[in-house]
Amino acid sequence: MSRATASIERHPASSNNGLLIGVALGMAFLTFMAFLSVVKQGNLFNESNLLYLALIFYGGASALYIGFGVTGVERYVKFASIATAIGFAANTLAAGHRWYIAGRPPFANIYEMLLSFVWTVALLTLVAERKYKVKVIGTVTMPLAVTGVILMQLLPSAVHPLVPALQSTWLQVHVTLAMLAYAACALSFALAMMFLIRDQMKTETFLAVTSGMVTAIYLGIMTRFEKWGGLAVSAWDAQNKEEIFIQKGVRLMVTIPDLGWILLLVLLASVVPLAIYGMAKWRKRENFLTAANRAVFIGIALQVIALGGFILRTRGAAYASPDADGLYPTALAASPFILSGLITAIFASLLYLMLYWRRAGLERLLPNADALDRITYKTIGIAFPLLTAMIAVGAYWANQTWGSYWSWDPKETWAAITWLVYAGYLHMRITRGWRGRRAAYFAILGFAVVMFTFFGVTYLLPGLHAYA
Amino acid sequence: MAAKSSVGNRVFRTLASVKTGIILLIILGVVAAAGTLILQRPMTDADQMTRAYAPQTLRWLDRTGLTDVYHSWWFALLMAALGVSIVFASIDRFPKAWRLVSRPYRRPEPHFRAVLPMQRSLAISHAEAGITAAEKAFRNAGLKPQRTVENNQTAVYAEKNRWSPLAVYVVHASLLLILTGGIVDAFLGYKGYLMLTPGQSTSKLEQQNGVTRPLPFTLRCDGTGQENYPDGTPKKWWSKLTVIEDGRVVLRKEIVVNDPLVTHGIRFYQSGYGQTGEVESLLLNATAKGETRQITLRPYQAAQLDADTKVALAEFIPDFVMRDGQVYARSKDPVNPAIRLAITNTAKQAKSEVWLFPALHQQSGNSPFQFEFADLQMAAYTGLQVSHEPGQWLVWAGCVLMAVGLVMAFYLVHQRFWAIAVETKNGPALWIGTAADKNREHYEESFTKFVEDIRADLARQDEESVPAGKRLVQA
Repeated sequence: MSRATASIERHPASSNNGLLIGVALGMAFLTFMAFLSVVKQGNLFNESNLLYLALIFYGGASALYIGFGVTGVERYVKFASIATAIGFAANTLAAGHRWYIAGRPPFANIYEMLLSFVWTVALLTLVAERKYKVKVIGTVTMPLAVTGVILMQLLPSAVHPLVPALQSTWLQVHVTLAMLAYAACALSFALAMMFLIRDQMKTETFLAVTSGMVTAIYLGIMTRFEKWGGLAVSAWDAQNKEEIFIQKGVRLMVTIPDLGWILLLVLLASVVPLAIYGMAKWRKRENFLTAANRAVFIGIALQVIALGGFILRTRGAAYASPDADGLYPTALAASPFILSGLITAIFASLLYLMLYWRRAGLERLLPNADALDRITYKTIGIAFPLLTAMIAVGAYWANQTWGSYWSWDPKETWAAITWLVYAGYLHMRITRGWRGRRAAYFAILGFAVVMFTFFGVTYLLPGLHAYA
Repeated sequence: MAAKSSVGNRVFRTLASVKTGIILLIILGVVAAAGTLILQRPMTDADQMTRAYAPQTLRWLDRTGLTDVYHSWWFALLMAALGVSIVFASIDRFPKAWRLVSRPYRRPEPHFRAVLPMQRSLAISHAEAGITAAEKAFRNAGLKPQRTVENNQTAVYAEKNRWSPLAVYVVHASLLLILTGGIVDAFLGYKGYLMLTPGQSTSKLEQQNGVTRPLPFTLRCDGTGQENYPDGTPKKWWSKLTVIEDGRVVLRKEIVVNDPLVTHGIRFYQSGYGQTGEVESLLLNATAKGETRQITLRPYQAAQLDADTKVALAEFIPDFVMRDGQVYARSKDPVNPAIRLAITNTAKQAKSEVWLFPALHQQSGNSPFQFEFADLQMAAYTGLQVSHEPGQWLVWAGCVLMAVGLVMAFYLVHQRFWAIAVETKNGPALWIGTAADKNREHYEESFTKFVEDIRADLARQDEESVPAGKRLVQA
């Protein structure tokens, strides 16, 4: 073991090149395979090909950024950055192509919003890296972009004409502002996390937070647990690429047998590290923490199995429904909420592992805590006016469309709550001089509310914003 | 008396404090969130509410106002408290901020010079040279230097974006404007819904709360329609509206979604469109004695069949179904219409009835005429959302003002510069200092450059002031 470590240290160049060559070969292989199939189809320049290209390069960039995060080899960043830039170019072309085909900017449905969101995230990553020298940011944001592009593949992507209420210039302005504001919030969240790492927050605290988050996600998914270990998911009409409704607002649910047990097992496995952490704190036994970390490894393994099981069992299979006779098909696209939950949980756990293994190396890569604290504040200084403008423009648009600038629909209300949280942050920071940890917690809370406004409200709470 | 004023003072202090403001923000956030999680009366059907909650829970929710959070008295009270807190906080802090803006701190005293983080000292030949160089540098940076002399000591002061410290008051004032707009609309505004069919007019409006309000004009619908995309999804709904005052047409407009008609401060929005289930016109071929004639039937209008026979549309059921010998309408779509015609023979003073079932190609009833269905135009209605919101202009003014305030607060930096000639133990020196209210690191760099410019200028001055001969000797 020690000899192996030593040899790596003596020949850093060879190990660096290993990852670079691996990633490059992988990307070349995927591009080549894609090229072959494209040549067969004969249609080279279209949106799905461009998106696939973006996915390959974002994936490569993610691998290199994570490689950088884990090993601290500076050279990876350079190549990761190039890959991000190429992916970004392909992403831009894909969005532009869609814009050209539809004759309007791509903001009309959740697929197009994701397209724009991923674009903004990649852009901000490049900016943060070039301008603020926060190199490690890609480790967080690029896997996010990859998840976004994968989710997009599952969503209905046909260019739909706009329903009358959406035919307004104000819509484009409103959604652009929302995307920019939310991306800035995401960035401030990542920076706040980095601050906490740099600020010597204990690794086991991150363990507790990560396990807590994973537990919360699986508790959320468990609301779909059915009798005898089933998991209820929406039925999916593959032809029209939409959910099947029994009546207005009521989805037809089908039950995937046995999948619930696996998810329940993962839930238990994610509670274990949390419980051991609690024991360690209570009994003041540091050695318990090693056990908690082992439990995290087991948890990740189980999560990957659960995700695999979920993907395999939802694809191209039909299940019985408690509400109707016969078998109904379902698809991954019918459960974007569960899928994003599963992926987010794995992603969060992996980020924790990275921290656990490479804490010292990571800290060396990050700017100092003061600088991170300041940049977080600056990012929120960008996000807050954007949020305000987004809400104001939304109100103006609503007034043009529904005859009322504010009607307390859930999305509006949650946007206002987001605004209140950041307003609170600014007051505490400016008048009370809140710096450091407390400010970082606030920034994290703000982003959690943003995520709820973006995903939670769309899927959980009904309202006027039904098309978004 | 003193005790009383101290109580008032304490109330004022409490309401003006940031802590109160933050607590109010948190409470508002929590109850607003609760309103999105609990079903709200104005947006939910009554029977859906009873299905979702147990009767006792629902009674409790209703009594506390949790089923209509945003219109409850305590929500209004919370908003009012927030408004008061903003006003008091501004009253509390504004005078001091205003003093700082109107009477800036121009002369850096020794205690101030001791603690200012961004400062430099340059050796100068004499006070005037240093001050002149500083003034020149200030002017080059686009600033207006102000010179003050006190106790024979000259100081120069300059500042940039002097109004930016007041940005927070601009933002708070804009919030108050928006709140005021909301209150004005809560008291003076109203909303309602109108359903008009082509040709119909109204001068009354039924409000959301059930009260009927007279309109100061008559609104007539001259037509309405829907256009579709090739795939059948709706592309556009339109209505032609005419405003009539004292019998005169004063305004005509074709409204579409996103483009309302505005008159007398009242807005009419295209918000609904649908079938009334009534006939607009029905085209029939009537045949008698080998002679066919095409007639157009409209509701309440009789058509001539021949010299002494008239026919009128007595009843139209768009989608009929027979149940227990009775005719019922299943829907408003004319998929299986039943048409009842009343036929009057003026010569014989005889009346008869005919039922037509075009989908079944059937005719029942006693008549010499054979009717054949040719075409049908169904009447459509337009649904108009009506709103009067006089406070909206305050809201928009507030939004614009807030944009200005936020840009001022976040992106305009109040930067102050001081220069003063001082005596040190190494001779005369020029003390230069700067302070910025945000983004300090950035200004550290530009300040260093600024000082370097003054240093270079001073060096040049020194060179020029030394006579040419002396310079040679020195060389």
